[in-house]
Parts: sequence; structure tokens; C-alpha cells
Amino acid sequence: MALGSICGLQTMTKLNSSLRENCNLLNSQDSAFVNEAIYGSENFVTPRDIDILSNQKNLTDKDSNVKIHFDHGTTTLAFKFKHGVIVAVDSRATAGPYIASQTVKKVIEINPYLLGTMAGGAADCSFWERHLAKECRLHELRNKERISVAAASKLLANTVYNYKGMGLSMGTMIVGWDKKGPGLYYVDSDGERMKNNMFSVGSGSTYAYGVLDSGYKWNLSVEEAYDLGKRAIYHATHRDAYSGGVVNLYHMKESGWIKVSQTDVKELHYQYQEEKSRRR
Amino acid sequence: MSILDYNGAAIMAMKGKDCVAIAADRRFGVQAQTVSMDFDKIFEMGPHLYIGLPGLATDVQTVSQRLNFRLKMYELRENRKIKPKTFMSMVSNLLYERRFGPYFVEPVIAGLDPKTFQPFIASMDLIGCPMITDDFVVSGTCSEQMYGMCESLWEPNLEPEDLFETISQALMNAFDRDAVSGWGAVVYIIEKDKVTKRLLKTRMD
Amino acid sequence: MTERYSFSLTTFSPSGKLVQIEYALAAVSAGAPSVGIKALNGVVLATEKKQKSILYDDQSIHKIDYITKNIGMVYSGMGPDYRVLLTRARKLAQTYYLTYQEQIPTAQLVQRVATVMQEFTQSGGVRPFGVSLLVAGWDEDEERPYLYQCDPSGAYFAWKATAMGKNHINGKTFLEKRYSEKLELEDAVHTSILTLKESFEGQMTEDNIEIGICNQDGFRRLAPSEIKDYLASVS
Repeated sequence: MALGSICGLQTMTKLNSSLRENCNLLNSQDSAFVNEAIYGSENFVTPRDIDILSNQKNLTDKDSNVKIHFDHGTTTLAFKFKHGVIVAVDSRATAGPYIASQTVKKVIEINPYLLGTMAGGAADCSFWERHLAKECRLHELRNKERISVAAASKLLANTVYNYKGMGLSMGTMIVGWDKKGPGLYYVDSDGERMKNNMFSVGSGSTYAYGVLDSGYKWNLSVEEAYDLGKRAIYHATHRDAYSGGVVNLYHMKESGWIKVSQTDVKELHYQYQEEKSRRR
Repeated sequence: MSILDYNGAAIMAMKGKDCVAIAADRRFGVQAQTVSMDFDKIFEMGPHLYIGLPGLATDVQTVSQRLNFRLKMYELRENRKIKPKTFMSMVSNLLYERRFGPYFVEPVIAGLDPKTFQPFIASMDLIGCPMITDDFVVSGTCSEQMYGMCESLWEPNLEPEDLFETISQALMNAFDRDAVSGWGAVVYIIEKDKVTKRLLKTRMD
Repeated sequence: MTERYSFSLTTFSPSGKLVQIEYALAAVSAGAPSVGIKALNGVVLATEKKQKSILYDDQSIHKIDYITKNIGMVYSGMGPDYRVLLTRARKLAQTYYLTYQEQIPTAQLVQRVATVMQEFTQSGGVRPFGVSLLVAGWDEDEERPYLYQCDPSGAYFAWKATAMGKNHINGKTFLEKRYSEKLELEDAVHTSILTLKESFEGQMTEDNIEIGICNQDGFRRLAPSEIKDYLASVS
């Protein structure tokens, strides 16, 4: 105990009895930290005497000496069709030419009726979509009904718009099912929000669009749609150095989403290769 | 991003017991875009002599052609087969001639002496500083990964079959952690009385 | 007009001869005799080095020199021309070493020196060399000796044994009688001295002949004391 008193341990023992009560004993700045530790917060800590806007430029500018490599390489896609929405993504994370991971989950399961995809900054996407999940749940509690896909996507778009110019990097698709049926929106960190039947986002998106456009019909059967999603991602991973790993495939139905499959693109390559040789 | 990394490549060579191996990936890409998967980066320079040229694809082809020219002139003039070490000096000279405007290739040489069949491997930087080793040499966009794999898989006096397995595993697992190389691989096992060329089935992403 | 252009001196005569080259060969034939013999384990070069006056310091100027550590050379003809070729030969050898990090093979050196000599029969503003060379070398790669002769025309020949310069006809006839395929280097040195002796005027001493030998240890000029021993054993 002697050692404890030298170290000023008394305040610590008081804290142990009840965190909430003792918060009052601390000054206002300290209590903010305690609140943050308990409830989480969007009060981002910023370095003192630094203008965030100009500082972010340093981190994201191509010519800057300070290099933070945000995860940019990705292929994600989603399309609406007769039986709902298909979401397919790759699983590669790169830092420059180095492959940091081949097993990234780029579909974020917001709730049983909402999915988000991840392209751009991995941390930005996962944080803000987690934040979106919270807001959606609050909406449910307040209104006793599920949030619409339009509203959910707009919530996200508005949130990131507040941070415009501060270096957020995300290109995401919000997929869901609500009263109006299947929903698909594209939201990015510039604040853009669009609605369409088909989107592909990421460095491999052009390759995916190529496959998607040549095989897409509204009346696709479920199996055909699964195959199209997988094929589009596979071809993107094949041609784009920064996409690869496995194809994660989701299907949004009236009853909520299901995860259809997870397939290594190596298997897909040799499977497609064989199909090709059989056709010849 | 360096011009050396513009097209992407991974090449390594290893010494075995009375044999050498040289292996390379097969990708030709333009930065992120993979253009073809059957691009040659290893060139035969004699019955027991091979050179691997990772780097800028246009220079890979120019250097291989100019080396071919010089080598043929040498062998006609001297009426004998070149020794791997002599060939290394020839490559070194070719590269240093462009000291102030280099070819963007960092060669790997593997071969057996035409008379004694002594194994030989060497690598070089882009202006021709040679490095001869007794174990393995690597060069390309994922050299760190390749060093890691070779350092842990290679052992002395490997028989040809084991050397093939070692170099294949080392190369594949190295370029599977590199975005800009891979897409197939080729392995040459060079022995006294035969050279075996094998194509590897790899990930294609 | 003529002084504005520089033509080669070596011009064909109507009968198809290049007389300048023939004159050069005449200069060689008038020069001091030299002999080269290839043995099983090496080569020997020997030459007469008679001085016009006893006042010459005969140990400071040599007629036999090495080009690389295992190639050496001797000449018959004009000394100054020889030294030009010697310098060129040494440069060629070093250039080769620089590009290949390997000693130049004797055949390569001879070929390149011959090219230089040929160029002097066809270039403007120059004359052919007034020398013939004997080049002795040991090839480390093939582990065998070589003996070449190189003429002003640029022609070159590989010999088992040969003689050049004054009285070379007699020298060759002598060698034809004495040469054996199973010759060892020691015997070859003796034979070379005897060949020189055939036409030597006056007393042969360690100071008026020069001998160079080439074997697996490289090329080396014999010291006067060694020559003295050889002379003692042949007489």
C-alpha cells in the first residue's frame, strides 16, 4: 500500500467502486474520455495546432512525402434482377504491390436485410457502415419498422458528406430489401449517392462491367445470376493485379440476405478453362 | 513506382547437386492490368546456359537479343562454347555500357560449365554489378518474398527432382504475395545430359 | 589534288602482287634470326641479339617480351615496328580480359594482332610492319602449348617448329631433321640453341642470344646465367 500511495493509487481505488459515480470527481475533460471509453464516440481526436483539412492533403496527395497507402485495389459488384439482388466481391487487400491479405471480408453485414460492400479505405468502410448499422437499429426502435434502403443509404451519404475533403476514401454499395422490394444504391466518400440496377466498384470494376453487361438480363434465373456474379468477379481478379483471392457471393431476397458461396478463384479459373476446352 | 516494377516479374535460380535450376513467372502486365500469361523471361544461351531477365519488358527483349548477338559472335570467333562465368562478364559489360541510361533489367544467370559441368549461378543489378553465390539468387518485383522462401526451403546438394520441387514451391509462394507477378510459371532443371522444362499450374489472380 | 587525299602505299602491281608487302618480308629476311619450337609441355623462343658495339648495355633492351602472363613474343625484322605491335598486343590482351574476366587464348591474340597487321597493308598514310612475329602461348583452358607466326601481310600460321630472319631456310631444314613429336621442353631449348648456332657467326654467349620459355607456369625470359648453363651443355 505504501507503494500504492507513492504512486497516487487512491484515485484509482475510488474509480473501481463505480465508474459512473466517480466520473463526477474528474474534471470535465477526463469525464469525456471516460464516457468515450464506455459508450464509444465519433469525437475524433485530432493533433493540436494542426489544420485537419490541409494535413489530410499531406497524407493523401500523390506527390506528398508522407505516404499512407490506403487499400484501393478491389472488385465489388451488385445487380438487381427478377429474384432479388446479387452481391459479389473479391477478397484481396494490397499495400502497394504487396498482397497483405487474400481473405478480406468485403461484404459488411449491416443487419439481416442490409448489406454494404467495401472498396477504398477498409477502415473507413467498416467504421461508417458499423455506424450505419447503429443508426438503422435506432430507426427500428423509434419507428417500429425497418428502415428503407433509400433512407439507410442516404444516412450514410449524409454522414460521409460531413467529412468531405478530410480524406475519407470509400466506394460502397448499399443493398437491401424493403417495402418497395429490392434496393441498390451506390454511395461514395465524395458524397455521391445513386440508384441503379447494376453497379461495380473498385480497380477491377471495368473488367467486371464487361462480363456483367454481356451476360445481364432482368429475367436471369437464380443459378444464372449466381454464375454471372462469380464470373464477373473471377474475370476481374484474372486481369486486375489488385483483385484476387476468393469470390464471396450474397443473395438479397424478400426474407433477407443469404450467403450463397465462397469460392477460391483458382478453382474457378481451372473450372472455366475446362468448360472452354469442352466447348471447342 | 520504379520502371523496374512497371511490368512485374519474379525470377530465381538455385544450385543443386551437379545441376542448377532457373524459374520465372509468366505474366506480362502494364501496372495493374494483366495483358498476357505466356511471356518469356528466361532465354536459352547455350545447351547448359540460361539467363532470366526480370524488369521492363521492352528491355528484357532488347537485352536478350543483343546478348544473343554478342554470344553468337563470341562463339564463332573463338570456335568454342562460352563458360557461364565468361558469359556473366559479357552481360555485365553490355549493361555497364549503358551506365548513364541503363536497361531496366536485373539478370539472373544459371548454367553448367561446358567442359567440367560445374554448376554456376549469378545475379546482377541493372548496371552490371555481378554477384556469384553458392546457394540461390533472386530478382524481380517480389524479391523480399523470394528471399524469404529460398532462405527457408533451400538446402545443399539437392537432387534434380528435389531441386524442382524446392524452386517451384519457393517461386509460387513468393509471387502469390505479389500483385504484379505470377499468372503461371516456368521451371528449367539443367543437368549434365538433359534439360527439363516444366510449366506450373498456379493461381491466376 | 594528290596531297589532298591520302592513299594506301600498298597498291597492287599489274601482275597482282603487293610489292610493299614483299619488301617488308625482305626486311624480315634480312633481320636477326629467331627460332620457335613447340614441345609436349611448352614452347621455346630463341633469337640472336648481336650488338654492333661492345659499348651497348645488352641486358637492358630485350627482343623477347611477354604479352600476358602466359603468352610471349619474339620478332625478326625492325625493332621499332615490333615495339608498336607489342604495345598493341598487350592492349588487346587486357581489353579481352576486361570484357570476359578471362585470359585471352593464344589463338585469339594472334588473330587480333594479325588483324592489326593487315589493316596496315590497306589503310591510308601507313606502311606495312617490317617484322614477322613468333608468338608462344600456353592455354590454361586446353592445357596445351601453342606456337604461331605472324607476317607483315597479316597472314598467320601455327607451327610445331620454325625459324625466321636471316638464314631461316637453313634453320628450317635443320629443324625438320631434328624435330620430334615427343620433344620435351628441356630438349627443345637445346634444339633451339643448336638451330641458331647453324648460322651464328662468332662466339655464342649468354649475352648475344635471348631465350624465352612458356609452359603451364606461364611465359618467362631466361636469365643470362640459365642461358650460360644451357650453352655449356650443348657445346
